[in-house]
Amino acid sequence: MGVSCGSQGKLTITDDDVIEKSNLSRQFLFRDWNIGQAKSTVAASAAVSINPQLKIEALQNRVGPETECVFHDDFWENLTVVISALDNVNARLYVDQRCLYFQKPLLESGTLGAKCNTQMVIPHLTENYGASRDPTEKQAPMCTVHSFPHNIDHCLTWARSEFEGLLEKTPAEVNAYLSNPSEYATAMRNAADAQAKDNLERILQCLEQEKCETFQDCVTWARLRFEDYFVNRVKQLTFTFPEDATTSTGAPFWSAPKRFPRPLQFSTTDPSHLQFIMAASILRAETFGIPVPDWVKNTKMLAKAVEKVIVPDFQPKEGVKIETDEKATSLSTGSVDDAAVINELLFKLERCRNNLPSGFRMKPIQFEKDDDTNYHMDLIAGLANMRARNYSIPEVDKLKAKFIAGRIIPAIATSTAMATGLVCLELYKVLDGAHKVEDYRNTFANLALPLFSMAEPVPPKVMKHRDMSWTVWDRWILRGNPTVRELIQWLKDKGLNAYSISYGSCLLFSNMFPRHKERLDKKVVDVAREIAKGDLPPYRSHLDVVVACEDDEDNDINIPQISVYY
Amino acid sequence: MNGEELTEQETALYDRQIRVWGADAQRRLSKSHILVYGMKGTVAEFCKNIVLAGVGSVTLVDDREVTEEALSANFLILPDENLYHGKTLAEVCCDSLKEFNPMVHVSVEKGDISTFGVEFFGKFDAVVVSCCSLAKKKLINQKCRKLPKRVAFYTVDCRGSCGEIFVDLKDYKYSKKKLEETVECQLEFPSFEDTISVPWKALPKRVSKLYLAMRVIEQFEDAEGRNPGETSIADLPGVLKLRKELCETNSVNESQIPDALLERLLIGTSEYPPVCAIIGGILGQEVIKAISGKGDPLKNFFFFDAMDGKGLIEDISEPKPVS
Repeated sequence: MGVSCGSQGKLTITDDDVIEKSNLSRQFLFRDWNIGQAKSTVAASAAVSINPQLKIEALQNRVGPETECVFHDDFWENLTVVISALDNVNARLYVDQRCLYFQKPLLESGTLGAKCNTQMVIPHLTENYGASRDPTEKQAPMCTVHSFPHNIDHCLTWARSEFEGLLEKTPAEVNAYLSNPSEYATAMRNAADAQAKDNLERILQCLEQEKCETFQDCVTWARLRFEDYFVNRVKQLTFTFPEDATTSTGAPFWSAPKRFPRPLQFSTTDPSHLQFIMAASILRAETFGIPVPDWVKNTKMLAKAVEKVIVPDFQPKEGVKIETDEKATSLSTGSVDDAAVINELLFKLERCRNNLPSGFRMKPIQFEKDDDTNYHMDLIAGLANMRARNYSIPEVDKLKAKFIAGRIIPAIATSTAMATGLVCLELYKVLDGAHKVEDYRNTFANLALPLFSMAEPVPPKVMKHRDMSWTVWDRWILRGNPTVRELIQWLKDKGLNAYSISYGSCLLFSNMFPRHKERLDKKVVDVAREIAKGDLPPYRSHLDVVVACEDDEDNDINIPQISVYY
Repeated sequence: MNGEELTEQETALYDRQIRVWGADAQRRLSKSHILVYGMKGTVAEFCKNIVLAGVGSVTLVDDREVTEEALSANFLILPDENLYHGKTLAEVCCDSLKEFNPMVHVSVEKGDISTFGVEFFGKFDAVVVSCCSLAKKKLINQKCRKLPKRVAFYTVDCRGSCGEIFVDLKDYKYSKKKLEETVECQLEFPSFEDTISVPWKALPKRVSKLYLAMRVIEQFEDAEGRNPGETSIADLPGVLKLRKELCETNSVNESQIPDALLERLLIGTSEYPPVCAIIGGILGQEVIKAISGKGDPLKNFFFFDAMDGKGLIEDISEPKPVS
């Protein structure tokens, strides 16, 4: 097409991922020998060989709030158009917000197997991406995943979460502590909450009670994990909620969709139990840097090693709190004496640390679903299937487990090519400029049926007040370094009664709080500096505030962001 | 189907697409042989798609030399004269396509395709022709239909910002899952010749204008002895005259085939890369469906016009006699 091939042109591409084998079935700019290399750099050089005139820069950054130093105001302001090919909704929403703010066209698309979808977002002409969202995929409530699973997805979600907790997050926390013990301790003391207490407990567990020095220690750890997850927790759960338990209304507690679990009984003659131990102990060893002996893969020898483990008896306790509220989003239970407990834990940790070899660090493991030799999927499938067994849920094979737990998106070259072609057609229109909304096309296609459905994009919702009208694309501008009072008065002149002003997540002013009255005669920018504690970037000469307003009839009016120049 | 398993390499490479159409379909693809005639931009996109998908083999036929025009929309031809000097379009494309998937056998067949016998076409599971005159299309289609086994036949043409795909799967039996059941389906596809012989008056009133316009241009090129795509705006008077005759013979109003559309098709003989990608993608999926036996095939014409952004499926066949 010759896009960005002129002397003034530039195409910036960015992707933080590296090439792997399964990409090659449709990402045709890559070859077998590129496996392991950065996607963006390889794509860029392949593109240049197709058209040597292309002016292209390849970056490896994610696009998000944390890379706003790379993708700063100047970067966005100099763009003509943004084309996205993201694989998750949150990233799309972020880019959408940026394009809204900087008033840039966004050509968005996605595929799922044979289906493809394109959406054109044109400043002032169309609604933005975030204006109409598909109902989000429902995520299972936390208590379902944690205690009351009823399908294999719940078990896999739990498995993935445990994997990350045990093998990635905890070792990373350990290292954070060991790299800077005094700073870490101060942070925990300052937080003084349930989360800090949990963190410290887990670190201490890793470095003291469950520390591994030999491979046998890892086998012990794996065996005890099995006992905890698939035996003890179930015993505790069914002790707290027996099979005939009733809810406060008298209905049976264990009614559908809840499934009543039964504890497993570990046996070295059950190959699936042994496989679990093998994967778990190998990965545990990896986090401690302990070499894995060859005999592990020999079932007889592994069984022998497991039999050596002494498994303590377990008695369920009274008064254990188990979350049953589906709306609960956290499992941490806070208590009054967290601060005292935290101090005690820190003291114990300090003692532990002194007994460690100097420079000791753990090796956090990042879940990698596509390497069949790394035991990651073996452990995830093992965790999920044993749990499924507890709850009499049908188990799955490794391939299916990988699909669900790995959140894999099925993809093919044909729908990808089609989506790309459709977006590029719209690109001609954007670059041409001066096209009406009716000229653009959003497409949904499903090549399997086949079905092709094209439509004009939807214009943005227009909001009105008195003689003003605006859309989500507009921003109001107020210059002259105003005070809070002046800002409020400016809005009052428009018939809008401002009752609260925010900058990002900081509340600058609210007429609900009497002590905010003293801020009225301060400059908006100064209030922001005080409250946001130096959050203002030096290269900007304005800040954007969100003001909540009502009209004279006390109706809420959704006004645009206001850029206050100073 | 002999139960030859996919190799470990294939499973790793094709993982994401096996999750779309299943391992069985992938096995069938890996045993299939595709013949492709006419290496323009759209066909290049199509070939890329089926090579990535992992068909057994792709045989390319196009003895034309590489030209400046070919470079503009065919991404398989890199702008390096050293690479393409002295080679035919098919040869250059073959070299590039091999790189996309070493497991696919890509080769070139030289010669005049109209002289190839029925047994030649019998080696393939699907035949795709582009840049083909009316006479050649009919001839190749007939040869494919003569064979006892099913050889899927497709034509594809992109002129400017328009694209057309034709599908002939003869008697096509396939099964699909509807909820928990497996349903057996059967479709009868007419040949290209039979399809275009359907009187225009018998077509639905809202039939795609592009269908009719392409038939006019097709017949014009045939009558004037032109190579496909060898037209220019100077031909407009001749084309309009032919349109008048055809519309009279068929008792349809000339307004069904707008002047502006015919002009665009006459002038725009070179391709737009985005349209190539769209049509190449759709055609790729159609061939994959036919080979794997999975999915409802397109019956029997597909039209795309970038001007209105519409993709239309037209089922043009002889109406069944009323009993």
